[in-house]
Amino acid sequence: MIDSLYRWVDDRLNISGGSRKLLNKIFPDHWSFMLGEIALYSFVILVVTGIFLTLYFVPSQQQVIYNGVYAPLRGQHVSEAYASTINLTFQVRCGLLMRQMHHWAANIFVGSIVVHMCRIFFTGGFRRPREFNWIIGVNLLILAIFNGFLGYSLPDDLVSGTGIRIAFSILESVPLVGSYLATFLFGGNYPGTSIIPRFFIIHVLILPAIIAVLIGAHLGLLVKQKHTQFRGNGATEKNVVGAPMWPTFIAKTQGFLFLVAGVTAILGAVVQINPIWQYGPYVPYKVSYAVQPDWYMGWLDGALRLMPSWEIVFPGHMIPNAFFPGVLLPGITFTVLMLWPMIEAKVRGDTAEHHLLEEPRNNPWRTSIGAAVLSFYFVLFGASATDVLANYLEVSLNTVLVTFRYLVVIVPLVVGPVTYKICLELQHQHRPTKTKRHNIVIRSEEGGYSTIEVAPRPGDERPHLEPIPVDAMVLVDDDGQPIAAGRVAAGVGSGGNGNGSGRGIFRIPRQYR
Amino acid sequence: MPDSPDDSRPSEAPGSSDPGAPASPSSAHDGHAEPPVVTVSINAPQFEVAAANPEQVERGIAVMFVLAAVGFAGFGAAYWQNASNFWLGISLALGMVGLGVGMVAWGKYLMPRGPFSESRHATGPTEEEREAFLTDFSSRGKVAIERRGFLLKLLSLAGGVFGIVALFPLLRSLGPLPKHMFYTTAWRKGDYLVTPDGRRVHVDDLEEGGVLTVFPPNDIGGALSQTILIRPLLTDVVTAPLRKTWGPAGYLAFSKVCTHAGCPVALYEHAIGILLCPCHQSAFEVGPDKPAVPVFGPAPRPLPQLALYVDRKGYLRAQHGYYEPVGPGFWERGDRGIAQ
Amino acid sequence: MGLRFLRKVLIPFAALVIAASIGTLVMGRAHASSAATTSSPSQAAALTGLEVMTGKGATAASTSELQYGYTLFQTHCSYCHGVAANGDTGIGPNLQGLGAGVVDLWLSTGWMPLKTPSAQPENKEPSFDPAQIRAIAMWVASLHPGGVPIAPKLDLKKSSLATGFSLFTLNCAPCHTITGAGDALYDGYHAPPLHGLTASVVWEAVRSGPQNMPPFSARTITPAQLDDIIKYVTGKIQHPTNPGGIGLGGVGPVAEGFVGLLVGVGGCLVAAYWVGDRTERDEDDHGDHDAHQQGPESAPEGAHA
Repeated sequence: MIDSLYRWVDDRLNISGGSRKLLNKIFPDHWSFMLGEIALYSFVILVVTGIFLTLYFVPSQQQVIYNGVYAPLRGQHVSEAYASTINLTFQVRCGLLMRQMHHWAANIFVGSIVVHMCRIFFTGGFRRPREFNWIIGVNLLILAIFNGFLGYSLPDDLVSGTGIRIAFSILESVPLVGSYLATFLFGGNYPGTSIIPRFFIIHVLILPAIIAVLIGAHLGLLVKQKHTQFRGNGATEKNVVGAPMWPTFIAKTQGFLFLVAGVTAILGAVVQINPIWQYGPYVPYKVSYAVQPDWYMGWLDGALRLMPSWEIVFPGHMIPNAFFPGVLLPGITFTVLMLWPMIEAKVRGDTAEHHLLEEPRNNPWRTSIGAAVLSFYFVLFGASATDVLANYLEVSLNTVLVTFRYLVVIVPLVVGPVTYKICLELQHQHRPTKTKRHNIVIRSEEGGYSTIEVAPRPGDERPHLEPIPVDAMVLVDDDGQPIAAGRVAAGVGSGGNGNGSGRGIFRIPRQYR
Repeated sequence: MPDSPDDSRPSEAPGSSDPGAPASPSSAHDGHAEPPVVTVSINAPQFEVAAANPEQVERGIAVMFVLAAVGFAGFGAAYWQNASNFWLGISLALGMVGLGVGMVAWGKYLMPRGPFSESRHATGPTEEEREAFLTDFSSRGKVAIERRGFLLKLLSLAGGVFGIVALFPLLRSLGPLPKHMFYTTAWRKGDYLVTPDGRRVHVDDLEEGGVLTVFPPNDIGGALSQTILIRPLLTDVVTAPLRKTWGPAGYLAFSKVCTHAGCPVALYEHAIGILLCPCHQSAFEVGPDKPAVPVFGPAPRPLPQLALYVDRKGYLRAQHGYYEPVGPGFWERGDRGIAQ
Repeated sequence: MGLRFLRKVLIPFAALVIAASIGTLVMGRAHASSAATTSSPSQAAALTGLEVMTGKGATAASTSELQYGYTLFQTHCSYCHGVAANGDTGIGPNLQGLGAGVVDLWLSTGWMPLKTPSAQPENKEPSFDPAQIRAIAMWVASLHPGGVPIAPKLDLKKSSLATGFSLFTLNCAPCHTITGAGDALYDGYHAPPLHGLTASVVWEAVRSGPQNMPPFSARTITPAQLDDIIKYVTGKIQHPTNPGGIGLGGVGPVAEGFVGLLVGVGGCLVAAYWVGDRTERDEDDHGDHDAHQQGPESAPEGAHA
């Protein structure tokens, strides 16, 4: 039945040629190439759980009197957004699980994008011809961070509402147009009643649509330009060695989707996240201590805390303090990130195409710069928890802040050169192979131990196999006869035009099974 | 071409030893030759199952799928019984992990071992392809555009106007112009200080070291008019030379909107005379000769102070509104503020 | 293959996850058990000209109790606070006029006695039993009128959890955090966590404003409102509703970020490590490629210009 269905579609759409190309796509198998898939599948989970949530969430700041099951809120004035989220938590079956899985998936989404970006950066995967994909990727990171901020601000609770107030101030701080940006986005002065509904539509429609399109472009470019790969196992600049799409990669990647979903479900089941019922509704004149944004905004919060109290004032105008850590820092960060492929090509004078990846140790200057910059943002991220750290370590808040101000300068300056040195050291190390070797351990009369390497016996080693080029092969049976009547040998690109052999999809001729 | 059945090496066309090496340049594409076609036996080891013990692996995968089914069924049961978040999530997780491990194991161990390869084609076009494109573009385009520069300019004009005007509804309709929104609050001369419950604050309300959040009567709960009222002493407090009457009976009132990023400055550490903002830990010194000057953290300016007086009935009231814009800075703010 | 995976990856990772979880839990717990403050009780709680608060149902002290309290005070407290509890030794502050409630507060929380005058007061086990504490408190209160009385017996049945939540958010959350976890204040002071505190300790702290905490009189927080707040603190703060699972100490996104990255992304990384392959290396490959120039494998430069 599958056969006749396939034929029906194929006769009308001519998919055999394209499908064959797709089936023969080769994916290098290294585990570090799956990091982008973590992000992709987290996005899928976000969309699925998000759709569930949109069916219950009410994006309105209209005040209502809460009358549900959670006693400490009963009779209190809260916004409909908050009330509907509490409702989702306590009264909608599976609602809390969906909320938690959605939030954990968001954390994993941004985290895996960062890890994936680091992998690309440190192995040089952004080099020609993949600059476009890098730029798309950095934009995806920005959008993911932003969408995450919008998402956790939707419930209009005390903790996230404080973040919205800070966002207003940061918008306001932009020179020339800041006050316009702020009042336009908020529909007036702070707080207004438009911000939650606007955040909602941006969060569920506008940004996910852009993210989906960008992901499509990202994957499309990956298919067109083919994946990069590490050396070894017959890989060269002119081929791709690995697992074919059909059947291996499809099975592995599908399974991986479920594994990522499983990890998210475990977290959603076992670890509580964003307990908004404990935070209460947002009220502009109320605030809590120990309030931090979600981790991917932590570096911004840390920067806001560490920034000295400078402000530029001249007659009639001002560049406020919050502008520097809130707008300038992320602006410079993402601009440099996006332009990095071009910067590196210029500095190294390397405009050649690269399809083989570098090992981080073999490009010490890039690795050490990357490590230093990463450590800078890591310190900023740590600085967002100055008060929590001061409390936990039982030291003065003042001490913690001053320490972080020093660390943010010293740590990158130390990490950079140290990483450089480590790379140089590693370059000269002998790398053990995957081949199993036997050693005989001998104990001498004096008591010392020594080893003798034994020559491998048959069966000890995994046979080293040559890669089979699926796009340029003729399959033959035991007698050397081609299995399919010459069509397979036609090589790449030729679409099938109905060979009429009447073979079924899974039928290999009986004598060859 | 006859080939021995257990020869794992794909035999190649004579003359080339490496499928990827540049071959004769007949169809060469900047060094990426079309790879020669190789003959591969269906019995080559690359097509064999990857695992050494496929039956055992198959049993393991079967167990995984059964566990997955049990997990999902458990999810259904947990849902039906309105079980807790933990049981709903754990059963779902069991199903997902079971499916995932089973499918990955199938893909890793019960699929053709490989490796397989395909060749990369040149990334860019050949010179011929590019030339053909440019020729097609310009041969017909030439007729269309040559000596039509004037029309093109008018087209750009119309398009440009559209582009600019299209921004109007997209941006301007979003909200009102800021104008003087940021410069004043709702506080007016003579306003009572009112708690969130609507009660007027009396001079006897706070003890020494006490704190209260207050609003003007016509903006209770207002985000920008919120004011923190503290009583560091029981006698008049003068925070600055020109503010002699602002702190009657020890009461000081400051804007609660932090001048850094707008959070409510709600922590009053009365023993050390500090107002602390919880968001980024800006600390403002308050007390005699201390008009909420920032001494720690990122806040760049002192908190604006509200001048108070005690009326005949003993209620606290504002002498006038704030003399400067409250809260964080913005471009047009400049150095507005009283010199007092 | 499975066994090797177990040995090399799963067990170390499981150990890492367990360590991380324990770490976050301990961090959460640590909030509940430490509160470091630096100096001795503020004298700001002494009231002048404001109404004297009388707690409901507070009973007067008997002579024998006062005698007992006097003896205890002379033995344990007079060295720092003076035999008349007026601080004339110059070591500890004057306690006269602070009220029995303040003494009860500082002794019940274990803030007092301090080992040395410059030691940090911490939440710890009280050094005296409740009867002794009450006796000392009554004796100190008998020296001078005024101040905060011992907390009355509270009947919280009619109190409103919702009003308590709202008032707690406005008045208490800015220092103690919305989940009562406590946090570091300016210049080395701390707002202690609210876990493990009794209702009477909360009552006395609110009314007396110890150290940097502002005092809240009955005119700003009425007795009914204070009951509401105490109901919320002894209820949802000390016994939070955590239907979502492990509460991570109520510290919020900081802990959630650690878990999300270590367990979430980390778990997916472990899965990826299993699903994918490790780097194969050829026998004669010593890894020192690319150390300098690109080899001949790269496409000729400029070919695509």
